[in-house]
Amino acid sequence: MMRNIFLICFFLLGTVPPAFAIQADALYDQLNKKVLTVKDYTAQVKLKIDVNYMRVPQLNGTMFFKSPNKMRLERKGGLSILPKKNINLTLSNLIPTGKVAVLDQGTALYNGRKLRVLKIVPDDDQNQIILTKLWIDEDAVLVIHLETTTRNDGTIMMDMEYNNYASYALPDKVKILLDLKDYKLPKGITFDYDEWADTKTTKPSKSQKGTIEIFYSNYTINKGLSDLVFNKTND
Amino acid sequence: MIALLKIELYKIFKRPRTYISFGIIAAISFVIQLAMVSDGKTFVGFALQGITDQFDIHGTILNGYLIAYIILQSLLIHIPLLVALVAGDALAGEAGAGTLRLLLTKPISRVQIVLTKFLASFIYSLLLIIWLALVALALSLLLFGKGDLINLKSDTVIILLSNDIMWRYALAFLFAALAMTTIASLAIFLSSFAQNSIGPIISTMGIVIVFTLLSNLELPLFNLIKPYLFTTHVIGWKGFFEDPVPYSLIAKSATILLLYTVGFITATLVYFNQKDIKS
Repeated sequence: MMRNIFLICFFLLGTVPPAFAIQADALYDQLNKKVLTVKDYTAQVKLKIDVNYMRVPQLNGTMFFKSPNKMRLERKGGLSILPKKNINLTLSNLIPTGKVAVLDQGTALYNGRKLRVLKIVPDDDQNQIILTKLWIDEDAVLVIHLETTTRNDGTIMMDMEYNNYASYALPDKVKILLDLKDYKLPKGITFDYDEWADTKTTKPSKSQKGTIEIFYSNYTINKGLSDLVFNKTND
Repeated sequence: MIALLKIELYKIFKRPRTYISFGIIAAISFVIQLAMVSDGKTFVGFALQGITDQFDIHGTILNGYLIAYIILQSLLIHIPLLVALVAGDALAGEAGAGTLRLLLTKPISRVQIVLTKFLASFIYSLLLIIWLALVALALSLLLFGKGDLINLKSDTVIILLSNDIMWRYALAFLFAALAMTTIASLAIFLSSFAQNSIGPIISTMGIVIVFTLLSNLELPLFNLIKPYLFTTHVIGWKGFFEDPVPYSLIAKSATILLLYTVGFITATLVYFNQKDIKS
């Protein structure tokens, strides 16, 4: 008897209209609309690169973005370094476009915050993005953490913090989490100076983690940025 | 002593061979600068392959600071040889020309002669480094402009901002002057044994080449002697292009080079003082 009741309950629960899924779709639509309101922006940025084999001071520059996929970091006379990804590292580019399936994953704690987790799978087989997993602050409709698995560039992971430009879903801070390969050059070419004294220094492992933190400020949003800005090359 | 130094400098700069060194430095610098103008992007692309696989780097990578660094790196072995060309001739040249005995008949002590020749070689080395700074750094900056510097080590990539580089070059050139003084003192030491300048010049070159090889070969046996070879410390100037600058390591290298210099000059004084001068 109990077994039958259990089976009936299980059947009923399994066929209950997916209330969460409807909400998830709505949440995703809301988020997508918010993200797509930004057609272009210019922002002052500070880059902090924390990679085991790189010693880079904080880089200051200007970030230019134009929808759908133009992005450029400009540093007057200086070098700019960004992770090599064919997909631009902006939220609008890391969420699949077109028809998608939104899969509700419920809620999860991320860095001590209770967030709604959605999996976004594009219907288009040829889409550059295979899957995007979003950790969303439901109240503010903002993506706090994102993991996008791409066809050619592996998985991109980003943490985002918002403040002044939250209404545009534009972050004040983006932390890009990187999986990096080993870096090595022959010592016969580089003639390293410290080799004689520093034989026991920790050598980087074959695969290593790294982060790039981008701090945004002074956004200028939807002012009609010219395409020419993105054609400039100074190297 | 000043008068003696003036005479020594006059002797050095009267010889055409002295200017060959300045010409060689200029030629090497020009060749590298020319190569970088014509095909620098390919070179940089190859050198940065390990990083550009994972990062997009934009900006003026090929700038005056990087070119100057490449020139300095490639002159690692050449400049000591150019220093030896003049310092190796200091005592042996006089002996070969038969003027050393004549010089010693004057009321000048042997210590004074050795020290003056050392000072003259030091000034020559210093001028060589200043010339290098002019043709390698100033000219490269003029041709390629300023920019952030990418310093590639075997397992680290260091990026220095353009407003944080000039002082590093100034200290690097100062360190290079000290390193070249050590080479000059070695050449003078070898020069005190010979009757003609070819021997000490070739011997200095040989020692520099062999020791540089030992300093750079990755074999456990050589790792034991590496810290004691002066050639290991000659490249101490590169330390100024690290972040943070390893000051204690550079100070250690500078001390070792100073000790070598004092050692070579003292040995020269001891030997030359009791040497039977026959020519």
